[in-house]
Amino acid sequence: MEISRTLSSLSNVMAEFDAAAKYLALEPDQIAFIKQPRCSLKLNLPVQLDNGRIRVFRAYHTIHSIMRGPSIGGVQFRPDIDLETVEALAFWSTHRCALLGIPFGGSYGAVECDPSQYSVGELERISRRYIAELVDLVKPNNDVLTSDIGTNQQVMCWFMDTYSAHFGNFTPAVVSGKPKDLGGVATLVNPAAIGVDLCIIQACRHLGVDIKNAKVAIQGFGKVGMNVARLLSKAGAKITAVADISGAYFNERGINVDEVTWHQQSYGILDGLEGEVEVEKLADPSKLFELPVDIIVPAAIELQITKENVKNVKARIIAEAAHDPVSPIADKILHERGTLVIPDILCNSGGVTGYYLEWVQNRMGYYWSAERMHEEVSRIVGLAFDEAMSIAKKGLIPLRLAAAVLACKRIVRAAELRGVYA
Amino acid sequence: MVEKEIDAVTTQSIDPPISAFENALKQFDAAAKVLNLTKNQIAVIKEPRRVMEVQLPVRMDDGRVEVFRGYRVQHNTTRGPAKGGVRFHQDVNLDEVKALAFWMTYKCAVVNIPFGGGKGGVIIDPAKISKGELERLARRYFAEMVDMFGPDRDVPAPDVGTNPQIMSWFMDTYSMHYREYLPAVVTGKPLELGGSEGRTEATAQGIVHCIKEAASHLKIDLKKSTVAVQGFGNVGSYSAKILHREGCKVVAISDVSGAYYDEGGIDIPAVFSYLKDHRLLEGIEKTIKVQKMKNAMELLELPVDILVPAALESQITSKNAGRIKAKLIAEGANGPVTFNADKVLDEKKIFVIPDILCNAGGVTVSYLEWVQNRMGYYWSNERIQEDLARLMKDAFKSVLETSEQYKISMRVAAFVVSIQRVTRVAEMRGLYA
Repeated sequence: MEISRTLSSLSNVMAEFDAAAKYLALEPDQIAFIKQPRCSLKLNLPVQLDNGRIRVFRAYHTIHSIMRGPSIGGVQFRPDIDLETVEALAFWSTHRCALLGIPFGGSYGAVECDPSQYSVGELERISRRYIAELVDLVKPNNDVLTSDIGTNQQVMCWFMDTYSAHFGNFTPAVVSGKPKDLGGVATLVNPAAIGVDLCIIQACRHLGVDIKNAKVAIQGFGKVGMNVARLLSKAGAKITAVADISGAYFNERGINVDEVTWHQQSYGILDGLEGEVEVEKLADPSKLFELPVDIIVPAAIELQITKENVKNVKARIIAEAAHDPVSPIADKILHERGTLVIPDILCNSGGVTGYYLEWVQNRMGYYWSAERMHEEVSRIVGLAFDEAMSIAKKGLIPLRLAAAVLACKRIVRAAELRGVYA
Repeated sequence: MVEKEIDAVTTQSIDPPISAFENALKQFDAAAKVLNLTKNQIAVIKEPRRVMEVQLPVRMDDGRVEVFRGYRVQHNTTRGPAKGGVRFHQDVNLDEVKALAFWMTYKCAVVNIPFGGGKGGVIIDPAKISKGELERLARRYFAEMVDMFGPDRDVPAPDVGTNPQIMSWFMDTYSMHYREYLPAVVTGKPLELGGSEGRTEATAQGIVHCIKEAASHLKIDLKKSTVAVQGFGNVGSYSAKILHREGCKVVAISDVSGAYYDEGGIDIPAVFSYLKDHRLLEGIEKTIKVQKMKNAMELLELPVDILVPAALESQITSKNAGRIKAKLIAEGANGPVTFNADKVLDEKKIFVIPDILCNAGGVTVSYLEWVQNRMGYYWSNERIQEDLARLMKDAFKSVLETSEQYKISMRVAAFVVSIQRVTRVAEMRGLYA
């Protein structure tokens, strides 16, 4: 499941794009051609509730760009959503795919509802009605949907089934994020975590930090945080701090990640960890960011490193596994100080890379092993990291801006080659 | 970088002019005779399946409407969708387009890629119209042919006067028409828009694979061999570069400015850096260690092991064939050896790798581009090179085996192999209606 972003964090993405456009000296026409969404749809979905009444849900779907390939993007079921946010998310999806060099444009969709308030039957009817309304727009070569906030593998199966039944063809490639039994992919590790791990290892190589015995603090111990901890510890790094909503836990000599994982899997939370594993609970969990470590992985929520605490940050690498954990002002200070921030658009792109590879396998009707998947995700994210890093080095600009420049260049180039149809 | 590549493709022509086609028809007839084909069998596989002629009204920059004429010929679609370039040239005519489509059927069959043959053209000198006019012409051409083309119907590619930019317009027009992203409808696209790695050097790399196979058959040690390359366009220059890299001694190269020779072997990377600042090889003897030959045609008669004619047609004729000293000729160009010269070379036991096989590396990488577009998954250059090597080597082996089995030249054998492949499939499919 994706981590939530607010509209203000999305306006940072737009600001980054504007900076990249300026850096590339794009003409106003070029900017207009690639900045605005191609089309946005506002829908009203009538759905019969279990009590027999009909409720109409507001829904949105935006296709931002199809220049580089079919658009891809998540569908969110959440109460606090509007068209402006969906359009911004679609824009962001276009840029992330371009940065990765995968043949996709960007889209996004949402239904204004709180999924926890509805029964499985009601959610199924909402899902089916949503994709039924989009049936002429969505297709493997035009627009691909993925799971996101409030949606899951089950919702993707309903989407896939409605679409396939409508056209009478088995069409798994129309959605990504399906379970393995229905056209999903084999994985050993969450693809998002593979991407984070790889970015950190390449960043270490770039800065001359030895990953063996490098000290790491990880905030957030969900699917991503936990798997990043396991991968980094396998690579020889020393995980000295972990945290979740229950608090932050620290051991200077390194925490046994297997034991922490076992604890989290058993209780669903890290609470009480200090009684079972050799760690000390920090009195103030926000001190996690000020620990004497080489690498910080914020994998929880936004705005964790701000101008208030940035001066106490000692790490050399900050890997944004969550969206926008570093505020723009803190980001600027960190760059000036020589701390490498791996931007979220690159750092947490393993997930969409996995979705892309699911689409590839659905098209072939042939499925790769989990090892092959791991290899492919690493190759794609690793290449994007290297390309962005080389732009950053050449232009002496932050990696975040370099990533935006790389994405922007690719979109403009494709748009110019294709030209204007009619 | 891409701009440069686009230029390189625009100026290159790998398709044969009409007289080379007449030569090919004679070889085709010889092959049909070897296979004892009936008149009806020949008729089915010799004539094009479908010929389309369209008028293309285009709004010019000054407001006038000018009407151009365009063609598309699908020669054969028995083994798969038609495949072949679209050329924009003032001398395009239907006979030529038909001939080139015929050529593509047999080229695709000899390398055993699942395509038939096609070709298209528009009568226009693209240098004489603006970029906007060119775009409108290209889009109108594709729009008129929108029912002919398709990833599983007919897949065009760049040719004389067309380039990756025009392929992008074709792809965009088709994709927007059908409201889907359909890059597999055309090959030769830029890398950023679904193109393939390895395209620039594809034809030359294919030639070198053939040369390697032939050398091992003839027991020539490539590392000790000498090579002369005629022509220094895309095909000639990359052939020289790759052969040099393989350890051959490239002793002679040429272009329209003349031929250049050095017995000790020419430093090909130095030639490439010279061409960064110069359009032609002219004057290169002042910069690197080569001698300009008095008569450029004598390049063909040098005492070398391997000769790669990669310039124009009809370079080796009955006049000079007797003086050729090479043991192996790899036809980079189309039809560089005339029908009569072929007989002389045959008597002299000179091994000729025929054009239809030798320069099929380009269409082979086009095929790999189409495959990648269908998957939506893109291979590394290493993977492309692996597949190209496999397809070229397998093709070479089948032609060599056939040539030994029927005791015929490699050239006739190439047609025998490809005709067999086309007729076998045609018989299995039968007549639809």
